[in-house]
Amino acid sequence: MKKVITGLGLILFAMTIIVPLLWVILTSLKSTPEIFRSPWGLPESPQWANYSNAWSKEGIGGSFKNTGIVTIATLALLIPVGAMAAYIFAKYPFRGSKTLSGIFMGGMMFPNFLIVIPLYFLLRQMSMLDTLTGLVVAYVAYSLSFTIFVLTGFFQALPNELAEAAQLDGCGHFSTFSRIMLPLAKPGLIVVGIFNAIGLWNEYPLAKVLVLSNENRTLPLAIVDLATAQQYASDWGALFAGLVIVMLPVMVVYWIFRDKIHETMLAGAVK
Amino acid sequence: MAKRGRTAFIIAFLSPAVLLYGIFVVWPLLQSFYLSFYRWKGISENRTFIGGENFAQLFKDEAFHKALSNNLWILVVGGFAIMALSILLAHGMQSNKPAVKALRGLYLFPQVISLVIVAIIWQFMLNPSYGLLTQGAAKVGITGVDKPLANSSQALAAVGVAFVWYAIGFYIMLFGAGLKQIPEEVSEAAELDGSTGWNKFWQITWPLLWSIKRIASIYIVINVLNIFALVWVMTEGGPNRATETLLTLLYKSAFKESAYGYGTSVAVANFALAMILAVILMFVFRKNPEERRG
Repeated sequence: MKKVITGLGLILFAMTIIVPLLWVILTSLKSTPEIFRSPWGLPESPQWANYSNAWSKEGIGGSFKNTGIVTIATLALLIPVGAMAAYIFAKYPFRGSKTLSGIFMGGMMFPNFLIVIPLYFLLRQMSMLDTLTGLVVAYVAYSLSFTIFVLTGFFQALPNELAEAAQLDGCGHFSTFSRIMLPLAKPGLIVVGIFNAIGLWNEYPLAKVLVLSNENRTLPLAIVDLATAQQYASDWGALFAGLVIVMLPVMVVYWIFRDKIHETMLAGAVK
Repeated sequence: MAKRGRTAFIIAFLSPAVLLYGIFVVWPLLQSFYLSFYRWKGISENRTFIGGENFAQLFKDEAFHKALSNNLWILVVGGFAIMALSILLAHGMQSNKPAVKALRGLYLFPQVISLVIVAIIWQFMLNPSYGLLTQGAAKVGITGVDKPLANSSQALAAVGVAFVWYAIGFYIMLFGAGLKQIPEEVSEAAELDGSTGWNKFWQITWPLLWSIKRIASIYIVINVLNIFALVWVMTEGGPNRATETLLTLLYKSAFKESAYGYGTSVAVANFALAMILAVILMFVFRKNPEERRG
């Protein structure tokens, strides 16, 4: 009896996740009249045109490119900068290093959005408001806390003897890092890269404030605009195709790396 | 490690991170506190020092009261729902059957897709004319919930449900890990003593989950104070401020009404709230009951 109830409960829970997501995917293959006629049925014949409409007519394609550029550029800057700082915090303690790493960690505790007003004016002063460059710089700065936190853990786990041996062999500080320690921390770099990539791909609040023009919109901004516009216009098919274009890449990446992601989330939380 | 060139190396490796973080995170944070004492419409020369006037106004502002109470409502009601449901579900998912394993892969989907997508999906689930939940409720004879997002007495609960849907996977994962840490022997010993079901849960499992409960509480506070995108996309804080939160109020004050000084005072109030909640949590979780017993 108890087993039956548990089973039913879990099935119900699974349904609450699967049904809405599957519904979005199925609806993205229906024509707009069909969505209104039978919102909960299967698509009569798949309307792939919804995807091309979303991509070119509704501007999701351009935003996809922007988000791609921003995500890759942010990671390209964030990972080296974060890894270098994490390496120092893990292996080169100095007076005040605990305090300094504490200041970095503090950034994970409060909502980033709290400082968005001064940030907006700072970027405006630097002529970086409403540019992808400005968004990248802000993203790198905001993502440093988490990145340094995770990578410090990875570097701490590497034995000091390795670095000492390398230095006896004549490696300097830098080549010890780049030739010995960094390659060993590769699993950490990958995990932190995936985590940040998902977060950056999805980021909305900062982009909402720091991006003003249509051509610089990232995907989350574009999809919200599209959803808002559909209250008046009526290409629902394209809207749902747009939703799939935004969420599917993340879902695939997450599914491939889900064990690693769970592990890191738990390790980060329980620490 | 070798001493030669150590200081230079430290400076070289730390300075990019320190500069970026200092300029784009720490400096704006300090400015937030400073700006909250000014009346400022965003034109740099016209900044007027007004002391604590923004805060005096804030404490009188009904929108702020509403936002604060909404945040606390989601924190308490949503927090309890998340705790109860995630412990229950984590309990049910202790086995290693393939179906349960697959479910463990699934339950983080709502968290990894963009909050914006979560918000849009829930808008559709609750759509008056064809939403699955609104129509479903009508089919089974529940009336009065046909347009929850437009109804000021239901909108907050609707947003709360979407929030729980989005957040719960992470907490199931946490409690799942916590339950796994409880040694078999403890559980078996309790059963030999005749402690089963609810009894066993309250006397054995619940106290042993102490550290997980502490972590979960901290994350719930952070999560709730961070709520912006979900509410903004679902309701923009409406109808009639029924779903206003501190961050939607901040956004509106600054970027809709150009009251930047006032907006930063909302930010500072949010920061203060975070500090107060942190102190409360430290007090609630000041001592692990298990350590005292042992």
